[in-house]
Amino acid sequence: MGVLRTLGASRLRRVGEGYALITPAMLVATLFLFIPIALSAYWSMTEYNGLTSPRWVGFDNYTYLLSDPEFTKAFVNTVIFVSLGMTIGPALGLITALLLNEKVPWRGAFRTAYFLPVTTSLVVVAVVWKLLLNQDGVVNWFLSLFGIPGHAWLADSSTALPSVAAASIWQGLGFETVVFLAALQSIPGYLYDAAKVDGAGAWARFRHVTLPGLRPTILFVFVIGIIGSFQVFDQVFVMTQGGPSGATTTIVYDLVQRFRDLDLGKASAVAYLLLMILGAISLFQFWIFERRSR
Amino acid sequence: MNALSSRRALAFAALTAGALLMVGPLVWAVGTSLKEPADVFASPPQLIPDPFTLQGYHDVFTVLPFPRYLLNSIIVSVTIVTFNVVFGTAAAYAFAKLRFPGRNLLFGALLLTLMVPFQVNLIPLYRIMVELHKITPAIGTDTYFGLIAPSAVQVFGIFLMRQYISTIPDSILESARLDGASEWRILRSIIFPLARPAVATLAIFTFVTAWNDFLWPLIITNSDNMRTLPVGLALLSRKNSVNWTDTMAGTVLTILPMLLVFAVLQRRFVEGLTAGAVKGAG
Repeated sequence: MGVLRTLGASRLRRVGEGYALITPAMLVATLFLFIPIALSAYWSMTEYNGLTSPRWVGFDNYTYLLSDPEFTKAFVNTVIFVSLGMTIGPALGLITALLLNEKVPWRGAFRTAYFLPVTTSLVVVAVVWKLLLNQDGVVNWFLSLFGIPGHAWLADSSTALPSVAAASIWQGLGFETVVFLAALQSIPGYLYDAAKVDGAGAWARFRHVTLPGLRPTILFVFVIGIIGSFQVFDQVFVMTQGGPSGATTTIVYDLVQRFRDLDLGKASAVAYLLLMILGAISLFQFWIFERRSR
Repeated sequence: MNALSSRRALAFAALTAGALLMVGPLVWAVGTSLKEPADVFASPPQLIPDPFTLQGYHDVFTVLPFPRYLLNSIIVSVTIVTFNVVFGTAAAYAFAKLRFPGRNLLFGALLLTLMVPFQVNLIPLYRIMVELHKITPAIGTDTYFGLIAPSAVQVFGIFLMRQYISTIPDSILESARLDGASEWRILRSIIFPLARPAVATLAIFTFVTAWNDFLWPLIITNSDNMRTLPVGLALLSRKNSVNWTDTMAGTVLTILPMLLVFAVLQRRFVEGLTAGAVKGAG
């Protein structure tokens, strides 16, 4: 009886200590996550300028945005940016990882070199590429060696968005390479030996051993990459400021502009549209990979 | 044998070309920071500055408020890392090893927020900081509190630590409890030492994210005194007539601390930044 009572008391004490241990985390999460998420859901259905109290408008902000040329342009720009980055980036990363997996000399040094830009902030990447892509910059000089005339990459609305995407691919390549390389090295060697015995050529081995072995990693790279690049803002802010004439305005850039214009209702609706887009994409990706792996 | 080595030579050549493309822009940034403004766009380009000058760094340290940006970046990043390590690990331990009513519900609620992009919180977060600033000027907009508080405990960190702490055998904790140790004590003298690799990953991941963070510090600060390095640098590079040598000196100053950490902790650093990959592929 006495033992039981002490056990009960110590369990109760442990419950109290459990709550105490999570209190700081839950406090921060409540104030800076839960409340803001709920508030912006509400504001997205109001007309609100941050000064006078919000006026309920239902789904008007959403219907307005879906036919607003500025938002739709930002949406299309973002989709183009993500499509460029998430095809070329992972492809280059996979190729680099396959090359590094050939047991070349100085592998560690190569890995470091490719990873270097990952450690720098997007702002730094954007500032450096703004210098390189300048009309009188190094990129144009290099092209002129091959007789290609110079170009104002960031000032021309047809090349501005691909240029911003190129800088972003450059920054992310090392991440994709390192993740793919780790996955390649975790594929057991005997699978390749067995495939060789069965007479599989290099392509067949890649198709039937390497690619299936990489599937979870490919999913991971796409999920992380697409979610991250849909939120592109820093590079645009530094390199083009959304221009020329809206050619590089992305969803988040559009959101920040509406926020700065004190159109908080519509800005909140943009945020929730972004949330819905990202949620739909994640679900779709997991669904595709579930089906394929069955 | 010959086919193999020629294949390797080809791979080596391709990797070398790629590596030049990866390192070249950073080398060019350092070179530009040591030039005179007139030589930045010299044709043909000067790989090695001639004449060589430290004027850019002189400007950055004396004319421009970069020492203040640097100080702010250090204060903000180090505080965010400390809070995340202490409070994140504490919460992760409770969620992994202690039983209390509502545990799964609260943890589930936290995990749900991982799917919400930061931009959804951005505007209410800003309004909350405006209101807090009215209560007392020490907190809210344009303060260290405003820069730090929203990142003080990050859900991804709790998730990461919980995964690791779950693998610590309960028997170790039980024997400590039988010796009369409180949960605080177990956290301090058993969990922290045993979870050191995960703590290192968390610390590096949090440090890099905080150091490179841009959107929130841009929105929440409005005086030069509170700007962090990326914000100061971005605003400098958006001036109408950009002084490229100063801008590149500021760039080097922004990258340098991160490169030092990377050089010292290379393996851990890569692990820290690809932390999610373990989760995704595992």
